[in-house]
Amino acid sequence: MQFNRWVVTATILLVYGTGNKATADDAAAEVKALKQQIEQLDQKVRILERKGELEKDATAEVAKSSPRIAAGTSGFSLSSADTNFVLRIRGGAQADARYYIGGGSANDTFLIRRARPVLEGTVFRKFDYRVMLDVSTATSSSAANNGFLLDAYVDANLAPEFRLRAGKFKEPVGLERLQSWNNLLFLERSYPTQLVPNRDVGFMAHGEVLGGVLQYQAGVFNGTADGGSSDFDQSDSDKDVAGRLFAQPFLGSDIGGLRGLGFGVSGTLGDHAGAPRTYLSPGVQRLFGYRTGTGTAPNVLADGQNWRVSPQAYYYWGPFGVFGEYVVSSQELQQAGGGTGAGARADLQNTGWQVAASWFLTGEDNSWKAVAPARPFGLANGGWGAWELTGRLSGLDVDNAAFPVFADPSQSASEVFSWGLGVNWHLNRNVKVQINYEQSDFKGGSGNPALADKEEVFLSRVQFTF
Amino acid sequence: MKRFILALALVATIVPAVWSKDITLLNVSYDPTRELYEDFNKAFAKHWESKTGDKVSVKQSHGGSGKQARGVIDGLQADVVTLALAYDIDAIAERGKSLPKDWQKRLPNNSAPYTSTIVFLVRKGNPKAIKDWNDLIKPGISVITPNPKTSGGARWNYLAAYGYEFKRTGDAAKARDFLKALFKNVPVLDTGARGATTTFVQRGIGDVLIAWENEAILAIKELGKGEFELVTPSISILAEPPVTVVDRVVKKRGTEAVAKAYLEYLYTEAGQEIAAKHYYRPRLESVAVKYAASFPSIKLLTIDADFGGWSAAQAAHFSEGGVFDQIYQSGK
Repeated sequence: MQFNRWVVTATILLVYGTGNKATADDAAAEVKALKQQIEQLDQKVRILERKGELEKDATAEVAKSSPRIAAGTSGFSLSSADTNFVLRIRGGAQADARYYIGGGSANDTFLIRRARPVLEGTVFRKFDYRVMLDVSTATSSSAANNGFLLDAYVDANLAPEFRLRAGKFKEPVGLERLQSWNNLLFLERSYPTQLVPNRDVGFMAHGEVLGGVLQYQAGVFNGTADGGSSDFDQSDSDKDVAGRLFAQPFLGSDIGGLRGLGFGVSGTLGDHAGAPRTYLSPGVQRLFGYRTGTGTAPNVLADGQNWRVSPQAYYYWGPFGVFGEYVVSSQELQQAGGGTGAGARADLQNTGWQVAASWFLTGEDNSWKAVAPARPFGLANGGWGAWELTGRLSGLDVDNAAFPVFADPSQSASEVFSWGLGVNWHLNRNVKVQINYEQSDFKGGSGNPALADKEEVFLSRVQFTF
Repeated sequence: MKRFILALALVATIVPAVWSKDITLLNVSYDPTRELYEDFNKAFAKHWESKTGDKVSVKQSHGGSGKQARGVIDGLQADVVTLALAYDIDAIAERGKSLPKDWQKRLPNNSAPYTSTIVFLVRKGNPKAIKDWNDLIKPGISVITPNPKTSGGARWNYLAAYGYEFKRTGDAAKARDFLKALFKNVPVLDTGARGATTTFVQRGIGDVLIAWENEAILAIKELGKGEFELVTPSISILAEPPVTVVDRVVKKRGTEAVAKAYLEYLYTEAGQEIAAKHYYRPRLESVAVKYAASFPSIKLLTIDADFGGWSAAQAAHFSEGGVFDQIYQSGK
């Protein structure tokens, strides 16, 4: 019996011991296999991570040397990898409607007010260029090419404080004239703009000092009549000098209420010859013109010194903005034809002024430049775009000495006062709808159907720019 | 009289200082030479200032040798190039038209002031028992080597492996299959040798890194002390990294004299010492003897004797559609 017990015990121990050893070996093998598996997985993860790093490096390397193509609200652009060479394709168009409520002889009309393709960019990092054409309604390629080719210049960006520009571009005089055509507060620029040169050919030094606190421009140009553009000097060899100083003394300061204040003065000086230009009402009707004619008819020509002075200022604070300018334009004239006052000379000084203000109902920060709506218009997102109320007072005073020898008092107004209200709806950065109502009261020119009564005009515009 | 002498002494001190120039050179080099040239540039600047009074500052640019050569061809204004292999400088001479075709004759030893070779770096204890090239094609072995298309070091690695199998079998097809099997075991292709070292040492990927000898010793001694071991294969290749002045650039910049002196200084005892300290095999006998113990003796193939020179090797193996393209594409 005792023997049997011993045998049974020994057998149990043997079986138990063997089983235990086998289990331990299996477990060790399993642990080893799992360890190997973990190591393999670890390597795979590390390899994937490293490949990711290398791909990122390779992408960055390729990006460094690849030309860049971009499309967005500011147009389309191509640039070299180092951005030393850039071409931007921009442009826009304005489809207007003019509706005359009272006064005037012009027809109600739809028209394409501006249609402008723009090519601009940079070459060799320091040289910016711009070419802008206008192919809109009533714009033609005249002998002087004035209306068709608007800008064509190169700007050597030697330093922010000193740049040199040569070619055809805006003379640095009128404040509203210097505002970009796609950021205008009202559809038509006002009287002061008609007394300063538009675009002219020449060269100019310009720059910003003290971090933009002071801007200056000084140049030499062919010289143009009030509101005119020129591609070459057709009438004489004299040249105009033009200059402008504009200060924003609180730019970048902590005084929020004054950061948007800017003021300055500009002017031109030169000798002019040739036909002076006419002045237009807000409804784009002729309100003043010098006598023209042939043979024995009176014919007035610029003949002698021309100078202009324009103090100007703007102020922007939050959604509110206002700007104003005053222009005196002086020109020696001669009645060069026959008829009344033949051979008479005079030095006439015409003046123009305006104050224009706006308020963004939707709260955007007002600016001299383009304003981006906080919530672009969209049915899906519920955005209303930016809504801006505008108002303007303006006037033009023609020198009384102009009448009757140099201008016909029955056909030209000697004074005009205009006021206007408007709404600008900025749907997004690229699309804007504008509606203006403007009323003008004329003094003189009662024989001219356009001036016989006050002018009341509704102007509307749909503008697309990119 | 005393005042006159004092004034003369003052003038003698000031005039050279006023006349001395500040010169900047750009050395466009390959991946693993960063540390070598950091030390060498300091030594040369000191030497040049004591010799001429001019202060010279040498800027460095590093990357895969082929990539660096393309940079110079595309206009990178290198005064000197110190690349991994002669073919890359040949390309600058031919495509960049920046130096004469016989540039290699302008300095001693084929314009290669130091040499190196290709070895293996394995993890501590050599857990996969890697001893020679044939161990690298075994299943389950993970090999780290950079891309021969962009890295000069990788081309030396490739040719050493090819040479091993070709010497052993005398059969080009077998050598090609050997490389195909080897690259099947390469999980990641870095663009340069330093990148491959990062993959192996810092990212912990792979069982073996095929590396420049200097890079492998640097990893053992400085990047991961006690974590790696160097394995010397039975056969490797004599790598001769050449140097030259880029004539077009130095003539334009007026740096020809200092650039030439910079490279010639590599051949001096001081220059050779610096190279040896950074684990490059020195050419100068006196320095080579001094550092002999640092460099194991290996049977070395040469590019000219065993591969017909760099032009032939490049055309056969690394050009578009060459052996590497065939075996790497099909091995993927």
